Amino acid sequence: MADMVKVTIDGHELEVPKGTTILEAAKRVGTEVPHYCYHPGMSSPAMCRLCLVDVEGAPKPMPSCVTTVMDGQVVHTQSEKALANRQGVLEFYLVNHPLDCPICDMSGECNLQDYVHEEGRKQGRGREPKRVFGRDDFGGDVLFYGDRCVMCTRCVRFMSEVEQDDRLTVVERGNRSVIDTFFAEGLDGTNWHGNIVDICPVGALVSKDFLHKARAWDLTHTPSICTSCSQGCNIDLHTRDNLVQRIKPRENLDVNGWWICDHGRHDYEWMNRGDRLEAPLARDGSTSRATGWKDALRGVLDGAAASSGGVRAIASAGSSNEDLGALRALVDALGGGEIVYRSARAADEIPLKGYPTLARRRDLAPNTTGANLMGMTRVGGDDATGGLEGVASHEGVVIVLGDRLDDVGADFGEKASLYVYLGTHDVPGASAAHFVLPVATHAESEGTFTNREGRVQRFEPALQAPGMARPAWLVLGALTAERTGGGVARTAPDAFAALGSTVPAFSGIGYGDIGSRGAVVNESVSLTGD
Amino acid sequence: MSETPFRNPGWAGNTGEFDLTEEQVRGEDFVGDRPAHGGHASGAGAMPYMLAEKNPDVALFEGEYQERFEKILTRYPTKQAALLPALGLAQEIRGYVSPDSMDRVAELLDLSPAYVRGVATFYTMYNKRPVGRHLVQVCTNISCNLNGADEVVEAFLRYTDTELGETSEDGHFTVIEAECLAACGFPTCVQINSRYFENVTPDQVPQICERLKSEGK
Amino acid sequence: MAYPYVSDHEVRILSKHFGDPLQRRVDTYVERGGYGALKKAFEMGPEKIIDEVKASGLRGRGGAGFPTGVKWSFMPKGTGKPHYLLCNADESEPGTFKDRELMRWDPHQLIEGCLIGAYAIGAQHVYIYCRGEFFETNQVLARAVEDAYARGYIGKDIMGSGVDLDLTVHQGAGAYICGEETGLMNSLEGRRGQPRVKPPFPAAVGAFGMPSTINNVETLCTVPHIVANGGAWYRQWGTEKSPGTKLFCVSGHVNRPGNYELPLGFPLQKLIDDVCGGMRGGNALKAVIPGGSSVPIINAEEVSRCTLDYEGCVAVGTMLGCASVIVMDETTDVVKQVRRMVDFYAHESCGQCTPCREGSAWTARILRRIEEGRGTEEDLDTLMDTTQQMVGTTICVLSDSVAAPVQSSINKFRDEYLALIRRGERVGAA
Repeated sequence: MADMVKVTIDGHELEVPKGTTILEAAKRVGTEVPHYCYHPGMSSPAMCRLCLVDVEGAPKPMPSCVTTVMDGQVVHTQSEKALANRQGVLEFYLVNHPLDCPICDMSGECNLQDYVHEEGRKQGRGREPKRVFGRDDFGGDVLFYGDRCVMCTRCVRFMSEVEQDDRLTVVERGNRSVIDTFFAEGLDGTNWHGNIVDICPVGALVSKDFLHKARAWDLTHTPSICTSCSQGCNIDLHTRDNLVQRIKPRENLDVNGWWICDHGRHDYEWMNRGDRLEAPLARDGSTSRATGWKDALRGVLDGAAASSGGVRAIASAGSSNEDLGALRALVDALGGGEIVYRSARAADEIPLKGYPTLARRRDLAPNTTGANLMGMTRVGGDDATGGLEGVASHEGVVIVLGDRLDDVGADFGEKASLYVYLGTHDVPGASAAHFVLPVATHAESEGTFTNREGRVQRFEPALQAPGMARPAWLVLGALTAERTGGGVARTAPDAFAALGSTVPAFSGIGYGDIGSRGAVVNESVSLTGD
Repeated sequence: MSETPFRNPGWAGNTGEFDLTEEQVRGEDFVGDRPAHGGHASGAGAMPYMLAEKNPDVALFEGEYQERFEKILTRYPTKQAALLPALGLAQEIRGYVSPDSMDRVAELLDLSPAYVRGVATFYTMYNKRPVGRHLVQVCTNISCNLNGADEVVEAFLRYTDTELGETSEDGHFTVIEAECLAACGFPTCVQINSRYFENVTPDQVPQICERLKSEGK
Repeated sequence: MAYPYVSDHEVRILSKHFGDPLQRRVDTYVERGGYGALKKAFEMGPEKIIDEVKASGLRGRGGAGFPTGVKWSFMPKGTGKPHYLLCNADESEPGTFKDRELMRWDPHQLIEGCLIGAYAIGAQHVYIYCRGEFFETNQVLARAVEDAYARGYIGKDIMGSGVDLDLTVHQGAGAYICGEETGLMNSLEGRRGQPRVKPPFPAAVGAFGMPSTINNVETLCTVPHIVANGGAWYRQWGTEKSPGTKLFCVSGHVNRPGNYELPLGFPLQKLIDDVCGGMRGGNALKAVIPGGSSVPIINAEEVSRCTLDYEGCVAVGTMLGCASVIVMDETTDVVKQVRRMVDFYAHESCGQCTPCREGSAWTARILRRIEEGRGTEEDLDTLMDTTQQMVGTTICVLSDSVAAPVQSSINKFRDEYLALIRRGERVGAA
């Protein structure tokens, strides 16, 4: 049991473990002391001087990000002295700041704007010409606007301490100091540099991908999970006009800390594709006829009833637990059969050395563990091709969920008595399908993925699914319900609960348990190198 | 302030005594030029000179300089601590600290080039660009300022026909202002390469410059 | 003798051999009794040495004036970690030129002091961090160190005592901020010379993360004399709270500028009139900065009341600092000189802390604008306010040093500022 110390912050008394800084203690009473250079994931140089607070009995204001709480201390963050200090420091920042909010991407989510608006001077007193650094391309996805920089050095410390590839440095000293790289070397070849744009408190470091794309206040933030590998980094999808504009990491100390890799950060364009399946299709040889859901589902059930020869299914490791669970249940209801999936593997892991549990994993799919827990089998190579010979010429029921079938011909599944393809796009491999059913992406649904360590994590819908596309678990669940006469899960939590009743690993876990941090499954999951 | 009744024996001597040879000026105080290999390791890192002869294309580090570098490494518990002496040594050889020098020193000390750039640009004495044979650093801080340092700077700029920081056409002189050189009792103090010239007045400037040009070093 | 002029008022302990080049040679130094104190120190043992230094009341001569014996006693005992003694020879404070003279004329005195200090604090290695511009001085020092090694005064089993000590002369590269103790440590470690946040203090986490003590050149030069003669001996000069002698670096508009070693508590007016031969050209005294550019400026009336000890200077509203007395006569343009000092700080600021990084450059620009005749009276209020924002809000005190000349000059020489602002007239010429 750690030693506890008592401290009073702005009149609130609280007890905190010895060694807690004043800034962290203040968070516990809901006070966010303004700061720039402090970040919980890196060292604290205490150099921005914005977090100075008024401590009774101390001769000077103390930097709250490094000063540990002493027993009986009384701290004021809103006293005249503290406010005067912050106003002074903010005035110093604005002496050379270009005040180019109208053309700065950070506008609307900028700490300098917010702090100055709250506590800054109404009128500036600077009359001198401002120093100018201009714009610098750091390579990778990063542009640097030196004039806006507040010299907090979070970016330098991130590259040095977290990515541990010392690419950034402060050049010159005093008022002439500026962040820079080693000349043309830039940030090329690094894999986590996108994070410096996130941690930059102002618009000095901006993403080229996001440059002048959308205004921060127009964006809706939706919690989600990255689908680019099996790490399962927690993210927010920022959307506007029903398009994903960018991805930002969401804090989860058990999974990804405050970070995501560049690979996952930029893997969102596919969620915005316009060439989607928007209606169920009934296909007969070369003719396709759009139809309604009821007719399509009726057609599938009739076809299944008339079939014999067992079921073969292909799933996707990119599908949610709910989708996969519903597929499992349908296949079982149709008499059982093998479900296979393919998933890509990269040659190497890309670790983030300064955050040991985080890496871009070799397994490039978000729900391989989920698929495995449900008894599905991986086939094919590391390039996600091959392995489908058994299904290609199967004569009974063939169900394909999600797999794009890039490497098969238009004759795939033509011998099947019933071939149902559920996907987001029409693909050549579905040419012989009897029914092509449009489903929603994870970005358009609620659901969960299971990451490589068995953590079930929730994602929420950020986009509206196009046309008549529906979540796969809803479609498959409806088919199963009709076939068996049982109930149908109408919501994602119900679909997950239904999964829990057949797969022991998931039983007893509810969406409430998963919350925003995730919950680990009941079985121990062996961590492969993936 | 040109009528000073004392000698300032030590290194350069009082300005005006240009008929004397180097040894005569320095007299018994002369401790001799330090050898390129650094002498005793305790002082090996204390020597980087600013020489008139500069060799920008020499590899880092060869021959006696390599010996000196290795001696420097033995004096510190970490390789990183040898960074300032190593950069100084690179400048002694090449005349300035170029990106290539930063890269090479980074390689020798297991540091990243960006880090070395950050350190090199922090310090005033590392020249980021090539300078003339003689870098004339005139102190214009308060004690010398009170005694006419600005006029001394003007005199140098006039004689060399340059602006501050520019190198003269013949490549001999670059004139810059320096901060307090710790010779405040002998205003105005001018440091030219490694040598201190004290009690300099504007009328002595042409003499000093002629002398430097003819000495060749 | 002190250098280059001699005065009868002087008490020449440290500066006894200034001007005598033979003192640099180890033979001469030993003949004159050198390294005898070191031998005695080994016999006394670290505890006794620290006690004597405490008894002497020696205060740090680098500007802070912290009692040296107390500082040495902060070093932890029995941790098994290597200890370091750092000698701060990065003399860059405008107006200060005593350390250069000490190193130039009597390098062995410094070396002996370093060795005694290292032994007292349990250090195995001494780093003398010398200013980069001091090429010639460093050569003299390096040669002296080499000679000392050759004679066995540094190295293994010194003089048969069983004590091992190493000493390295480390050269800086041109940064005033490396004279700040934690900035020096960072620079020594091969980093940008930016000061560190304290706590942790150097005695706990110093150079290379190990317990370290840092002392000024003059402080360490005094140590052999205290060890040889005892702490009580040192107290016969100076005042109760500021005992001993100090090298005063006098520069500016006096007839005989230079270093003078005088007992602390010496009256400032007497220093100017008697010791330095009075104002040049018989001009009237306008202002004095008694402790290097980082302390407030005092006017002629305050000068007449000021005694040169730590307490005496505080009593007239300034500080003794490193005792660099800059004397300004009636021809001085105060605004120009203040601007030049602030330019210095803006140039030397390391750039970590926002108030200093932005404030020093901004203050310099405002002063320049006033000097060029384009200032307003509002600017004076802005200057007072923004420099006040720079006091006590940063990691090191360079920021506070900007405030000292600006605030004191606006308070005491406001008419000069107003002359420029209202009529575009400069009061002085220098």
